[in-house]
Amino acid sequence: MSASMQVEITRIRDLAPGIREFSLSPAGEGSFPVYSGGSHIVLSLPLGARPHRNAYSLLGDPNERHTWRIAVRKQEDSRGGSRWLHEQAREGMKLDIAPPMNLFPLVRTGRRHILVAGGIGVTPILSQARELARIGADFEVHYAYRGPEFGVFSDELEALAPGRVHHYVQSRREQIEFRSLLSGRPLGTHFYICGPAGMVAASMEAGHTLGWPESHLHSEQFLAPAGGEAFDVKLAKSDKQFTVPSELSLLEAIEQQGVDAPYLCRGGACGQCELEVLEASGELLHHDLYLSAAERASGRKIMTCVSRLKGGCLTLNL
Amino acid sequence: MSTPATKSQPVYPELEWDRTGTHHILFVAAEDAALARRLYASPPAGTLTVIHVADPAAGETAWNKDLPPQALHLAAPSLGDGLKLLNDALYVAQMGTRIYLAGPEDAIWQASQMADGYGVGRDEVRHAQIGSKARPVFCVHCRTITRGVHTNLVACSGCDRTLFVRDHFSRRLGAYMGFQIDAEVPGDVPAAEVIYP
Repeated sequence: MSASMQVEITRIRDLAPGIREFSLSPAGEGSFPVYSGGSHIVLSLPLGARPHRNAYSLLGDPNERHTWRIAVRKQEDSRGGSRWLHEQAREGMKLDIAPPMNLFPLVRTGRRHILVAGGIGVTPILSQARELARIGADFEVHYAYRGPEFGVFSDELEALAPGRVHHYVQSRREQIEFRSLLSGRPLGTHFYICGPAGMVAASMEAGHTLGWPESHLHSEQFLAPAGGEAFDVKLAKSDKQFTVPSELSLLEAIEQQGVDAPYLCRGGACGQCELEVLEASGELLHHDLYLSAAERASGRKIMTCVSRLKGGCLTLNL
Repeated sequence: MSTPATKSQPVYPELEWDRTGTHHILFVAAEDAALARRLYASPPAGTLTVIHVADPAAGETAWNKDLPPQALHLAAPSLGDGLKLLNDALYVAQMGTRIYLAGPEDAIWQASQMADGYGVGRDEVRHAQIGSKARPVFCVHCRTITRGVHTNLVACSGCDRTLFVRDHFSRRLGAYMGFQIDAEVPGDVPAAEVIYP
């Protein structure tokens, strides 16, 4: 799918318990392209026979051409991507990445921008804040985290937006009241949030109640493909039949068969990996953030990066 | 409503209140008693400001009588005054506001450009063409906009070229494109016809 590029891990920093920052530079000659605030890259991690791909937001300066930075929180229940980065990755190692994509871009015509970060969701907010600071836009940041030691990017944010960063420390029982945060805002305000699912949902509900239109409410979440029960798959056009084991995603299992399937974010967000379901003897388990309720109900589409089938056999038009 | 052959030509769905909004600004620059009655019969929840461009001599019209109880009616004697009132309303407006623009295309697209300047998205503005069908025409040669054009050919108010009025519309400029009809054979200008009454 996407052309890949090779990078070298040039620096690893432990920022807080379970949070590590990686600096990446081009593995050979040359420099990185510039990207837009809110972009992510997809890392291919050498876990076993097939590469394991995870999406991470770029958190540095979008105009920095030599070093890109990502921050990774160790997910104890993950299938190994973040654990590999925390336990196996070393400075000097080389990795393949897919170049930056942006599913969480800023709306440059906005008159004011409210950025909200929950925990490690601060990463795309950092590059957005840098872009807004550079163009001289009116913006503010609301940064929520578990305890004082987890506010790992507080200083960077404060430097970008002095006096306009608001901190909410969960261990001090501080939390963002979205109804008051979003009410009485001037026309032309845009809202951006990256954080845990519950926090994103609460903010969207508050926005809708206050009459905010969809075009001004922006959110990003990436899902780790959850494992699950094994199920059978038939690929109609490729004429293949195989079983998706419990530890692989449907997309990964298709790739293991040597079939080129579409994908981009691999986190249920972008919609690129959508395939047509020809037949499903079993219940489709939609885990993505992309399909509408009507599309889910139709049973004709599946996002292969995160969704599965419960029992039976799934026939795809691929 | 027929679909225009030129994709950029605006299509105006029937004007309805967007009840997901919490504040509403209605800008009207032409009379349409049926539309006024229908909108006023079931107003949306929240505040409603009506900016009404009309000749003061017109007196009572459907837009200023039987107003919903919460409505604030602001009368403007000219389009210029109406746009100033709209600017003031947008300046203090909050997120949750929906904007409804009803009138001839020249008026509603000037108002729309003003809303664009406040960072308003397309899902926050609704347009309705009522009253005159006259077109604002942008001269692709000298960039002047000639307003109130009823005919298929018009003399550009900037450079005096005879322009053919196309269906190609620019939302950013709020005007139809006009290009010189006799560029290839100077002086070969057919008779103009009134087609935008």
